[in-house]
Amino acid sequence: MEHRGADQLLLPVNPLFLWFSLFAALVFNMLPLGRIAALPDMLALVLVFWNVHQPRRVGIGAAFFFGLLMDVHQGAVLGQHAEAYTLLSFLAITMHRRLLWFGLTEQALQILPVFIVAHAVSLVVRLLSSGSFPGWTMLLAPLFEAMLWPAVSWLLLAPQRRAPDRDANRPL
Amino acid sequence: MPLGTLDRRPPPFFHQGPSALTRLAVFSAVALFLMAADTRFAVTRPLRAGLAMLLLPLERALEVPMEVTRASGEYVGGLHAAQADLSRAQLALTAQSAKAARVDTLTAENNRLRALVDLKPALVVKSMAAEVLYEASDPFSRKIFIDRGASQGVVPGAPVIDESGVLGQVTRVYPLSSEVTLLIDKEAAIPVLNTRTHQRSAAFGADGAALELRFMAGNADVRVGDLLQTSGVDGIYPPGLDVAKVVKVDPRADSSFARIALVPTASADGVRHVLVLEPMAMQLPARPEPEPEAPLPKGQRPIRGTRK
Repeated sequence: MEHRGADQLLLPVNPLFLWFSLFAALVFNMLPLGRIAALPDMLALVLVFWNVHQPRRVGIGAAFFFGLLMDVHQGAVLGQHAEAYTLLSFLAITMHRRLLWFGLTEQALQILPVFIVAHAVSLVVRLLSSGSFPGWTMLLAPLFEAMLWPAVSWLLLAPQRRAPDRDANRPL
Repeated sequence: MPLGTLDRRPPPFFHQGPSALTRLAVFSAVALFLMAADTRFAVTRPLRAGLAMLLLPLERALEVPMEVTRASGEYVGGLHAAQADLSRAQLALTAQSAKAARVDTLTAENNRLRALVDLKPALVVKSMAAEVLYEASDPFSRKIFIDRGASQGVVPGAPVIDESGVLGQVTRVYPLSSEVTLLIDKEAAIPVLNTRTHQRSAAFGADGAALELRFMAGNADVRVGDLLQTSGVDGIYPPGLDVAKVVKVDPRADSSFARIALVPTASADGVRHVLVLEPMAMQLPARPEPEPEAPLPKGQRPIRGTRK
């Protein structure tokens, strides 16, 4: 089956599920896994996903607020993640009409520069405010995020793909 | 397909609020203001403390799964590791007990001698045990968060140590937690004393979990293996705590300063419990106030002061 967003009529999104997925991504980012520069930023990924699919529900304001939470959690300069996520969200909203006409792989390719820009903003802000360079493995982080895009898209759209009429012979 | 399963409300044509570009401009401006305010002024402190309080329950809850994985790993690795730890601890205890016995007699002797020459008694440093909540995953800095905050009496600038030496310094205090910047952070600096030569200098954080001794002449008497301790001249760290060992001395020809690499004695990786000390300056007598300048007679100009 072709994965074209326009092919299948989707159920309306459950706002509870939407905010829960954002919260879960925040929790993943807060897991004390140590300092790994290449660790993908799940919160950024899920924010971009909902900005593309539900730009009227999750906008730049939500991205800004989640960015502030990440700043406080990491003890970073207040506004570093907020600025990066704001930009991320803006870019996602500007491309949301175009993006959904493509298949998942093409979507991932188009979303990659957005993540690169967000990480570059973080890097510039931190180097200006006297942080130390974390090493070249940080270049892998946006790459991993783009590679996770198809998986995240499949997972987060799954509740909307369920059949509207329940059937005892069909499990989903 | 029954009706009503699809979102059939038409999208609003006119009530869309400000455009995405406007929102980007507004939120970017707020973010830039916050960055400037956070690095230069103290106005963002309440906001930070509030958000930290909001996140604290989540951080505490996330400790549980990490604890469980660690505990299960230890359970599997089990008995041998525990026995090895025990024998190592007993060895260390034997080595320390001889020292501790000597310290008691020396302290008594020192007190008598100090009384003889009429010196003030040495300062007693108050301390508080704390548990490490988590290490910041921020790849740009080296920070840990501990579970004691302003309500338990932690003050900004307090030194933080573990059993093998100085770890760092409290840089931000929230109501129930605080942020500790490690010595290996690029921003950190600590005055040290070389225990072999009794030469004072300053160590700074460097890249890659290390410190460096800056501004030492190329021919300075520093050797590989020298132990550096806190010198106590800063009024923050009590003197005599282990800080770092010299691992490399490179007298560079192109500069008048040597490049001296240090490795900290206390490793931040895997540290669970730390001790927060009270900054020394809180026990020292306050500085005398400078005497107010007497009003100058008419016609006389102040000696200091810039003239155009």
